[in-house]
Amino acid sequence: MKFMMLLKADKTTEAGVMPDEKIIVAMGKYNEALIKAGALLAADGLQASSKGARVNFDKGKRTVVDGPFTETKELIAGFWIIQVKSKAEAIEWAKRVPFEAGGPSATGDGTGQIEIRQVFEAADFAPENYQSEEAKAALKAEGEFRKREQK
Amino acid sequence: MRFMIIRRADKETEAGMMPSGELLAAMMKYNEEMVNAGVMLAGEGLKPSAHGARVKFSNGKPVITDGPFAETKELIAGYSMIQVKSMQEALEWVQRWPSIDAHGEVELEIRPLLEAEDFGDAFTPEMQAQEDRLRAHTGGKP
Repeated sequence: MKFMMLLKADKTTEAGVMPDEKIIVAMGKYNEALIKAGALLAADGLQASSKGARVNFDKGKRTVVDGPFTETKELIAGFWIIQVKSKAEAIEWAKRVPFEAGGPSATGDGTGQIEIRQVFEAADFAPENYQSEEAKAALKAEGEFRKREQK
Repeated sequence: MRFMIIRRADKETEAGMMPSGELLAAMMKYNEEMVNAGVMLAGEGLKPSAHGARVKFSNGKPVITDGPFAETKELIAGYSMIQVKSMQEALEWVQRWPSIDAHGEVELEIRPLLEAEDFGDAFTPEMQAQEDRLRAHTGGKP
């Protein structure tokens, strides 16, 4: 099973404060442990929302809004994609994120939040729900796309 | 520059409604265009938060809460990762997102990713070596 671990944003990440050396070292160790366990598929950090934007569609009409976005609770600051056997295993990994060392968000006070979400896989798209020729072609293209993406 | 395009959740994604054949075909066409342009690095869809959990740390101690989570606005339903030259170019791609998604009401967020150089002096050669090992393992770019 694939899971996404989302690191929730906080005031520090939104202020663009970079993690110090102690935190980078702790995070490096954590990521190495994920690699050794064969669990890590991807991981990245996001810049503060002040560097980003939103595109809202209203009846198909697009409106661009530049960041920053004030609702810090809604924002994410980074993520991992992991491959594990169960949700329980994903939770065990989330519990090991080194917040006691300051944590990836650099608040340094041992607080933070990780959200765990299961990722859709090919088997979740039941073929009986996709009978039209274009839908069948899209599912086939998805398989081909995954192969190219992995290169 | 790498950017994450975040597709915000809505009532239908949280209810576990799968995309229609029409939407699936439109999304694949869009993804293929980005793959052919050498822009697309990765992309995933997320199951409803009912399949997920939250781990909240207080004084370094984790407390677990199982999903679903009520505040749909705070949730995300999927993402794409792209590599382009500028925010402008990222926005151009995002505006080509299939408008039939979420019945023409989709909300997308575009966020640049942190690269090694953003960490400055705290990012030592040893850390760079560790980062390179991670990238080699995950196939992530750069």
